[in-house]
Amino acid sequence: MTQAPALEVRNLTTTFAGGRLTAVNDVSFTVLPGEVLGLVGESGSGKSVTLRSIMRLLPASGAVSGHVRWQGRDILTMSDADLRGVRGGQISMIFQEPMTALNPVLPVFTQIEENLKAHTDLDRAARAARARDLMDLVGIPDAARRLKEYPHQFSGGMRQRVMIAIALAGNPTLLLADEPTTALDVTIQDQILKLILDLRDELSMSVVLVTHDLGVVAATCDRIAVMYAGRIVETGTVRDVFAQPAHAYTRGLLGSVPHAGTERSMLLSIEGTPPPLDRIPAGCAFNPRCDFATGPCRARVPVLEDLAPGRSVACFNRTAVTAAGSPV
Amino acid sequence: MTDVTTPMMAARRRRVLPRPLIFGATILLASAVVAVFPAQVAPYDPNAFDYGALLQAPTSAHPMGTDNFGRDVLSRVLHAYTIDMQIAFFATVFPFLFGTVVGALVGYAGGWAEVIFGRIVDAVITFPFLVLVIAIVSVLGPGLVNMYIAVGVVGWVFYARIIAAEVRVQKRLDYADAGRAMGYTHARIIFVHLLPNAITPAIVYWMTDMALAILLGSSLGYLGLGAQPPAAEWGVQIADGKNFMATAWWISVFPGLAIVLTGLGFSLTGDGLAELLRTKR
Amino acid sequence: MHLASFIVRRLLQLIPTLLFILIVVFVLVRLLPGDPASAILGDRALDADVERINRELGLDRSLPVQFAVFAKSVATGNLGNSIHLKLPVAELIAARLPITILLTVMAALIAVLFAVPLAFVAALRRGRAADSVVRGAFQVGLSMPVFYLGLILLTVFGARLGWFPVGGYGDGFLDHLYHLFLPALTLALSLSAILMRNLRAAIIGVIDAEYVQFARAKGLRPRLILSRHVLRNALISTVALFGLSIGTLLGGAVITETVFAIPGAGRLMVDSIYGRDYPVVQGLTIALAVLVSLTFLLTDLVQAWLDPRVAR
Repeated sequence: MTQAPALEVRNLTTTFAGGRLTAVNDVSFTVLPGEVLGLVGESGSGKSVTLRSIMRLLPASGAVSGHVRWQGRDILTMSDADLRGVRGGQISMIFQEPMTALNPVLPVFTQIEENLKAHTDLDRAARAARARDLMDLVGIPDAARRLKEYPHQFSGGMRQRVMIAIALAGNPTLLLADEPTTALDVTIQDQILKLILDLRDELSMSVVLVTHDLGVVAATCDRIAVMYAGRIVETGTVRDVFAQPAHAYTRGLLGSVPHAGTERSMLLSIEGTPPPLDRIPAGCAFNPRCDFATGPCRARVPVLEDLAPGRSVACFNRTAVTAAGSPV
Repeated sequence: MTDVTTPMMAARRRRVLPRPLIFGATILLASAVVAVFPAQVAPYDPNAFDYGALLQAPTSAHPMGTDNFGRDVLSRVLHAYTIDMQIAFFATVFPFLFGTVVGALVGYAGGWAEVIFGRIVDAVITFPFLVLVIAIVSVLGPGLVNMYIAVGVVGWVFYARIIAAEVRVQKRLDYADAGRAMGYTHARIIFVHLLPNAITPAIVYWMTDMALAILLGSSLGYLGLGAQPPAAEWGVQIADGKNFMATAWWISVFPGLAIVLTGLGFSLTGDGLAELLRTKR
Repeated sequence: MHLASFIVRRLLQLIPTLLFILIVVFVLVRLLPGDPASAILGDRALDADVERINRELGLDRSLPVQFAVFAKSVATGNLGNSIHLKLPVAELIAARLPITILLTVMAALIAVLFAVPLAFVAALRRGRAADSVVRGAFQVGLSMPVFYLGLILLTVFGARLGWFPVGGYGDGFLDHLYHLFLPALTLALSLSAILMRNLRAAIIGVIDAEYVQFARAKGLRPRLILSRHVLRNALISTVALFGLSIGTLLGGAVITETVFAIPGAGRLMVDSIYGRDYPVVQGLTIALAVLVSLTFLLTDLVQAWLDPRVAR
């Protein structure tokens, strides 16, 4: 309980277009060593932007404020040279679509090797050996031959393994995974998630997993943070949140998770879509879609309040939501 | 991350004419006025010799100086607008019209028509355009009309390629099917329904092509294969002055500036149009 | 392995292209009004002379036979004889074309040297002052006629300042390079403008690509990201455009050689047109078209090397 967090995000706010659009709004969370945190929400909720803000990977029009504490330093204020050491070295990131995230014109070996070159002191031969080891580690057979191949010569699942191998090259202690399985077939999804969990144990990494799929969270994460319209609306252990959601949005999301034996399709239990950034409703951003909404929801923004240690929610009607019980 | 594009799209929705279009159209409008009324804007007769004022540097009486026959360079530059703007128009309008029709038919027909057309495109891009035009003009003889013919033989292909590609996309859309379902003739579907939606890129290219036509026309004029002396044409004027560059630079330099300015007018208009039409889509 | 079969396939494709070039030249020559004999001899030619020329050119036989004879002689390197210079056209071309090739290669190199850094400056400072300056220069560069720019460079750097020769080709390779520098610079301007615009757009398209984001997430140095991940991908479409521009470049070489009095193939072309030396014009047209298709082949290979997906 008193373990020092590996990553601590405080009051992270990300704006675009000169501050007119707020994509991430006052987000705070921590990641403990060896923990898998699920960052969950519909598309457009700001979860991907949060991940990229941590790594300062935003287009020029984006501006980030707040603090991202990592090993005693603040990533948001460190020098570019220090940042390069952290990126890919201590913290690695994998992307949703390996087809577009891997450079199509470079052999896989080059894409792994350049990471080794940037973050290790290995000589040429050692880098080649390590590249083969990494391919073995992520479960790609015939490593020596496949290293010479190009991304388009790999299947979707193998491509995602390649990306993970690249991400692991610098021996990171934190892996940021942005929807790593969304682009994959269901059976391959499970393999990749299992691989990530195995690697977490083997290499004692922490993982932040961004996903819109609560099924993935249930299968892999220790804790969950639910985002809506740029804010975290509920956090807690996966077990607690799934058993007793305290935010109407979380409850709605859980209602759309397919249950055992049913088709794995999105069951729309929440009406409508998340608001675009330039039209975020006043008060609680979720109120127009919320079955529990009352007067205060339309007037004020609810703040995150602790329910228990490590468990918090930002909802005026959490008692009513809790009483309604979990749809799972 | 997709949210990020929202402000850009908002800016595009604002109805402002692109700045290149405003600059370009202004230049073209002024050029057209000069081309139609050269005698009204030019201070002197472009072909009047004045042996009392040979090779004079620019003065208030002759703002662009005089040439080796004492002709007023400014008046010749202004009168040349008539010929060069004509070149821009006539060297391109027939390829534009013919290429548009052929392109629409090829794109609509598809299949073998497209295969054959593809071979023609391959052949045409294999021949250096200017070399081919020069070769054709050499057989036909120098002069503007022969130049139009030479350009037309090749130029239509580029329009046809653009239109064919667009029509190919358009004919897959629903309204083309609807037209067929309603029993419209092929011609009606092509020219009333498909073409108006496919023609914008060709119009944008037309602007660039007119700038290229002026470059080509003045190049041929310079080589003595286009407009013939003593006609006032920029390329001819530059050739006239080339032996005086060291002593009377103004004979060649000012006509060249006119070419650059007019070319800018066309290409800015083209860029601006492209921007405007992209916004509208 | 893949590349080798790609090269073979591409070489085989060259055969129909070459045949097509011959057909086009052949047909064009026969379609054009005015017969070659009177073009050569003038309007007041004697019938006997016309007949002699027609026989020399093989124009008294049927069209398919004419084409077969024509194709066979071209294939064996026989392009006929120059009417004025009394020399085999093939010999003339062999003597003059290398000069034009050297000129265009130099121009292409200069154009690339200008275009690549400028495209990066413009793309990385998109919408700012540097971008506007580069794009403005692009517009002017495209509107500037080759013969006009050449005349100005010749006057300023050749005649006025004396830094460069005012024409000719010189003796010895280094002297050739020295003589060709100003003409190559002249020729390079519009090509570099075209390449610059395309590369700028390509860089802007690539710079926000996921794999560039991923490269940044790997903690690579900005220089490495730009050279390895951005430039290489952005170059793919620019190389294709470069291939397509080679015809324009050769056309420009014709004019540049005239302005700078360089004894290349372009100058030969213009002289032959003035002199109505019809076999030379025909031979040069074929030679230049062949040169263009060989350049297409070369740029295709470069593209296949840049992008492994092409050679599949």
